[in-house]
Amino acid sequence: MTALLAVIAVGMGTYLSRAIFVLALANKRIPDPVLVALQFVGSSVLAALVVALLIDADGNVVIGVPEVSAFVVGGSVAYKTRNHIFTLIAGMGVFWLVRALL
Amino acid sequence: MSLDRSVVRRAFADALPLFVPAVPFAFVIGLVIVESGINPFVGWSSSWIIYGGAAQLTLLSLLGSGAAVVAAVTAALVVNARHLMYSAALAPTFQRQPRWMRWLGPYVLIDQLFALSVLRIDDDPKTWRTYYLAAGALFWTLWQITTAVGLFLGPVVPQAWNLEFAVPILFLGLIVIGIDKYPKLVAALVGAGVTYLTAGLPNRSGLLVGALVGIAAGTFAERFRT
Repeated sequence: MTALLAVIAVGMGTYLSRAIFVLALANKRIPDPVLVALQFVGSSVLAALVVALLIDADGNVVIGVPEVSAFVVGGSVAYKTRNHIFTLIAGMGVFWLVRALL
Repeated sequence: MSLDRSVVRRAFADALPLFVPAVPFAFVIGLVIVESGINPFVGWSSSWIIYGGAAQLTLLSLLGSGAAVVAAVTAALVVNARHLMYSAALAPTFQRQPRWMRWLGPYVLIDQLFALSVLRIDDDPKTWRTYYLAAGALFWTLWQITTAVGLFLGPVVPQAWNLEFAVPILFLGLIVIGIDKYPKLVAALVGAGVTYLTAGLPNRSGLLVGALVGIAAGTFAERFRT
């Protein structure tokens, strides 16, 4: 039930962010400082999420050699190929490989 | 309304290749739903209630990992804040559309559809609408199907594979591919660093602190870029 409410809340907020200028503020412009800041939302939030998803129940960041290796290789593959599928295969492959070797 | 088939064909041909990068996200969303213990139908409903891969993954994996609901919802909404830019950019084009289109169109406005439709804003309104809705319907339908398929793959994948680690890998890919100037790198590094330092805050709320400081750092770096 909580999960459904959370999904609905994010759904409504997402629709609003997509629709607000189309429906209500067609003649308004986003102020320039906000536009500048909005460019950095994606990079910053996603990077924060990468770390947050590695935090365990006690508030420690659980990151070892397999994770770091996977990030280095996955990040390099993403940079070289610009391809999400290759990135995923390389990152998970290295993660499993290093974990098996250690 | 007569449908211009050549416009629809064109929209499908343009949209299909752009959907391919979304497929791993769709499958991983399915896996995350299964592992999170959330009711699978509720989890999958996010595909049509939210309809945005990064926000769905953010919300579902944070809920599954025991983050506070408010923090998970806030993080997912922040991830989706970029849509404000799309909404503002397409608002003048939508003013030439009928009212029903102004309500329906934004619902399917994902990154890929923005990228395609913003290139065609000089088309006449009816052609633009046909193109937008055809590409949008294709993306939407494929997303519902692929995330549902992910739901069935979930239980098949052994727990020992730690496939939930695919989420940070996919996000890292999004960050790297999205960096087109160094202030974005600054935003990412500061966002990650501050989240690391605030990891001890309850319910993963350090995530929001890290995200905000990262955005501020990127903005600051942009201002002093020479």
